[in-house]
Amino acid sequence: MRSLPDPHLPHPATLLERRQLSADTALFRVAPAPSALAALACFVPGQFVQLSVPGAGEVPISPADLPGEDGTLELCVRRVGHVTNLLHDALPGQSLGLRGPFGTGFPVREMAGSPVLLLAGGLGIAPLRSLLFHLLRHRDDFGEVTLMYGARQPELMLFRDELVALAAAGSLRLFLTVDFAPQQPAGDFSCAVGLLPDLLQGFRFDAARSFAAVCGPPALYRCLAGELQGAGVAPDRILLSLERRMRCGIGRCCHCAVGQLLCCTDGPVFRLSDLATTPEAL
Amino acid sequence: MGNTYLENSKLDPFLQRLRRFGALHGPTVSDAGVACFAPIDETSELRLDYGRTLIPPKKYLLPFREELLQFRDGSYRSGAPADLEVVLFGVHPCDLDGIAYLDRVFLSDPTDPGYAARRAGLTLVGISCEPDDYCFCTEAPGSAHCDIFLGACQGGYLLQAGTPRGDAICEAVQDLLARASSPPPRPAPRRAIAPQDPQLRYSGHPLWERFAELCLSCGACSVCCPTCYCFDVREYPRLSGGAGRLREWDNCLFKTHGEVAGANFRASRLERLRYRFQHKYCGFSPLQGTVSCVGCGRCKAACPVDIDLRELIPGAPDPEGGPS
Repeated sequence: MRSLPDPHLPHPATLLERRQLSADTALFRVAPAPSALAALACFVPGQFVQLSVPGAGEVPISPADLPGEDGTLELCVRRVGHVTNLLHDALPGQSLGLRGPFGTGFPVREMAGSPVLLLAGGLGIAPLRSLLFHLLRHRDDFGEVTLMYGARQPELMLFRDELVALAAAGSLRLFLTVDFAPQQPAGDFSCAVGLLPDLLQGFRFDAARSFAAVCGPPALYRCLAGELQGAGVAPDRILLSLERRMRCGIGRCCHCAVGQLLCCTDGPVFRLSDLATTPEAL
Repeated sequence: MGNTYLENSKLDPFLQRLRRFGALHGPTVSDAGVACFAPIDETSELRLDYGRTLIPPKKYLLPFREELLQFRDGSYRSGAPADLEVVLFGVHPCDLDGIAYLDRVFLSDPTDPGYAARRAGLTLVGISCEPDDYCFCTEAPGSAHCDIFLGACQGGYLLQAGTPRGDAICEAVQDLLARASSPPPRPAPRRAIAPQDPQLRYSGHPLWERFAELCLSCGACSVCCPTCYCFDVREYPRLSGGAGRLREWDNCLFKTHGEVAGANFRASRLERLRYRFQHKYCGFSPLQGTVSCVGCGRCKAACPVDIDLRELIPGAPDPEGGPS
């Protein structure tokens, strides 16, 4: 006689389609059951969901876009462990489970009127893509939108064509960079070769008014936090989407503490100013 | 107010009467010689002079492993609810305090249904204790974090009900009780250790390095802690189809605890010790500023290399001297 709602119980969901983005990363379109839609309607870019693959378990994933009109979600997932391996092997029609959204997202209301600089490294483009689409859908509410995206090599750059098309339409300023580029086919939108901090160093922008949103591998935060502050971005406007392995999403399992804050309920989007006294956060 | 004095000679019928409220569990000694809370068939099995059990009573509320969910016929379902009524007899004030802390964690919004069901079925009967060399709680006996508390006194116990269920028990045993000559003491609970400055974690205190060199990452301190509750969640497919999702105790001293894909945020023992320290003495998120150490002394008794995090804390109760 469990009369209480069970916060561990996922809503049913179905895998609709998958699109391979790189050798190990794909974009999954997932249809949640109607019971999940009310909660998902409040989704804020930067929040995450717990995706269940039956027989394998649950993983925290930050959707790559806000839920569509039909309530479907786009989840950009790398094949990296037990659960994501099974997800990558799944066929359309596969039953999945979904809980959430959880955590804090990007403070989009507070960001209104300001220029926004998005800095993505590798798979970090996924949560920032949902923020980017939010900014572009409300284009007039925000200042200049700039995306700097770094990947290890050109074939690992996700959503490249889509981003280039948006840039060509004048919606955003786009800078792509890769760590290594053996050869780039002529005619492609060219990438710089180098690291994101290098790219940032040569970039002129209205730092005092800007928000910066960063998502990427741990090393990236350490470099960029210093660079952004050096350029004049206020620490409470440097927004970092941190990665920890949330098991529960509701502040209980205690795997995701960052200092005294929990990544699942106080984050995953933190202001740099909130992490000032927590050396191991980045 | 009715009678509240239980003479020693009436303890046995009192315990039999308690069985009306659920299966009687209490402190005993296992076949392996380990002090533990276990079902009590004969009241002679009870060891009311026990110092501390190896595993704290959290096991009644958070089983080491439990099925959170089942996946069958295309969807997940909640696991089978607990419907066991247990009367846990003979719990020391520190462990009662530990359960009160776990209540704050698991009964806050969103309520954990499994914990709530087990908690609703658990009747807590506290008992006063004699501290030993490992204890460092200064909490006065008689703290009311239980349904009914037995304070030892001359020739018997003074009963003190803390909940309506405790009142009902008192009512049911009135014929076994006598009038108390003095009212039960009700001193204000005191904390052994004040909340700590989280910056102590990064203080560069030389003890951190020494502890990190000694620590074996065995996790005993966390397993035996009455307020360590962090858990892992695992899912296994079933041969008959479907799957089960299990919740198991996890341990922040283990290297896997801070792992994410491609990185580990607490790869060193130093970082893991600090993580536990911060959770215990500073508190996480909504419980920031809440100390969850209840002074039971288990971690100190269990640590194979005698690490005592309290040495880091200025003014902490003397680890060697016991309570004053």
